[in-house]
Amino acid sequence: MNLLDYVPGDSFLHKLNPVMKLLAAFLYGIACIICNNVIMELAFIVLMILISSFAGLQKRALRLTKNLLVLGLIMFILQLLFVRTGEPLLVIGGFCVFTVGGLMSALLLSFRIVATMLPLMLLFAITRMNDLCGALVKRLHVPYRYAFIVTTAFRFVPLFTTEFHDIEDAQKARGVEYDTGNIFRRLKLIVPLFVPLLISSMKKVDAGAMSAQLRGFNLRTTQSGYHEYPFHICDAVCLLFLAAVLAVSVASMILI
Amino acid sequence: MLKFDHVSFSYPGMKQTVKDLSFEVHAGEVVAMIGSNGAGKSTVSRLANGLLRPDSGHVYVDGEDTGKVRTSEIAKKVGFLFQNPDRQICQNTVREEIAFGPQVQGVAQDEIERRTEEMLQTFELDGDWFPFTRSRGERQRIALASVLACNPELVILDEPTTGLDYRECIRIMDYITGLSFEKGLTVLMVSHDMELVQEYAQRVLVLTDGRLVDEGPTGRIMKDMSVLGQAHVLPAQIPMLALRFGDKFSDVYTVEEMAEAIHREKTAKVIAMENNKSDAVSTEGIQGRGRKAADTNETGTGKKSGNEPDEKGARS
Repeated sequence: MNLLDYVPGDSFLHKLNPVMKLLAAFLYGIACIICNNVIMELAFIVLMILISSFAGLQKRALRLTKNLLVLGLIMFILQLLFVRTGEPLLVIGGFCVFTVGGLMSALLLSFRIVATMLPLMLLFAITRMNDLCGALVKRLHVPYRYAFIVTTAFRFVPLFTTEFHDIEDAQKARGVEYDTGNIFRRLKLIVPLFVPLLISSMKKVDAGAMSAQLRGFNLRTTQSGYHEYPFHICDAVCLLFLAAVLAVSVASMILI
Repeated sequence: MLKFDHVSFSYPGMKQTVKDLSFEVHAGEVVAMIGSNGAGKSTVSRLANGLLRPDSGHVYVDGEDTGKVRTSEIAKKVGFLFQNPDRQICQNTVREEIAFGPQVQGVAQDEIERRTEEMLQTFELDGDWFPFTRSRGERQRIALASVLACNPELVILDEPTTGLDYRECIRIMDYITGLSFEKGLTVLMVSHDMELVQEYAQRVLVLTDGRLVDEGPTGRIMKDMSVLGQAHVLPAQIPMLALRFGDKFSDVYTVEEMAEAIHREKTAKVIAMENNKSDAVSTEGIQGRGRKAADTNETGTGKKSGNEPDEKGARS
């Protein structure tokens, strides 16, 4: 299962207006960035996982957290070694490896990365790409052209992956040694992989553009479109909740 | 040449696509594999050239277990023509494209040149063409040429004729079966086109839902409606017509045979009618029928079924 795939559902979160979902993900992220307290950041992560479990997404949230933690770990190590404020904490042979300030800022930054990215990644689990773009066009009057670019880009990713695998198979069947362990030999063999991929992508894009033109792509305005995306009371509730989260975050910055 | 020994396979996270499959393709044979979409034909052909490895059971290519050799090693013996030629064409000229296969397999330079020129001639291709902008039929020919330039012992054709016009189709199949006849090339073709199967295959494997439902000479399978029904195909038109006409046409597979059989039946009928006139009224029916049957047998025994190689050579 892809970590950015849509998960069908009928929960409170799924029913929110796509624009609200996007806004919510951003506001939550901003709250996490403002906050400068390790425990609060941890609380934000846990809260996000709890919220997603309401939509039956706890598994996805946990997997995402795990993957993001790898990214967090890299940042943790970098910060730990390069931030040199406060008392030395670990000294080996007269050389200070890291300091208290370094540890604190490393912890904060790595958790902050996880807490900020998590809602944005989970957004894709509760929102269809089409709905998101449709709502952006209808509600925020984003030009359809740009919305279309985004949806298409997302839709092409899995297509390209399959195409890529098929091409790899085709070349393997001719005896190109992708199964060799030697990295340098593999690098040389990139041409037979990417040339067909490039050519077929160009063909696909060309055909796609033509079929879009034939179906009146140019005539499309913000008014066109089959779906309506009205706002509901639950959207207001969501907004209130986020205001509260932001307030807590700001308060924590001032008070602690 | 190719042997499946109780092979099972499933794609990760999906139900089994190939279930306990066993069959053998002998050297020099032209074998067709038929079955509806999703029956596992493509999976079987990928198992045969080592792109996929069986979960259980063994696949042997020329006596070697594919589970123990690298795909690139198997590729030296097994040529694979994909449905879509664009997946493999990667060089700037047709000549380079055809030479690419032998090159990666480490064939000597002068041998590569010899083979390339031979392929360009046989398939009427211009070595300096830019391959990507050629027509579909030409691209398929380029792909086939570059597969055959590797001198494979077994060629797997995964629906090789989709999107080609009839002339291109016949041309490709004639050449391949010609090679099979002359040089003992083994061919496994996956196809929905029963006319093509009837015309070129000696043996047919029928696959349904990952299982081998039946296998046998093309002639027998072609007349077995229940087996073909399981693969969701109809017999080729002439065998189907023969099937409609009944037992007297049981050995009819080709247009020539059909013409001959119709002629035969006509004469038999005329003879029977003449006999009827002279014979006594009481025995007329029985005798007439008996004679007709005898005639059919006489002409029938001498005939070959339409799928023996010499017959095919003559046709192509």
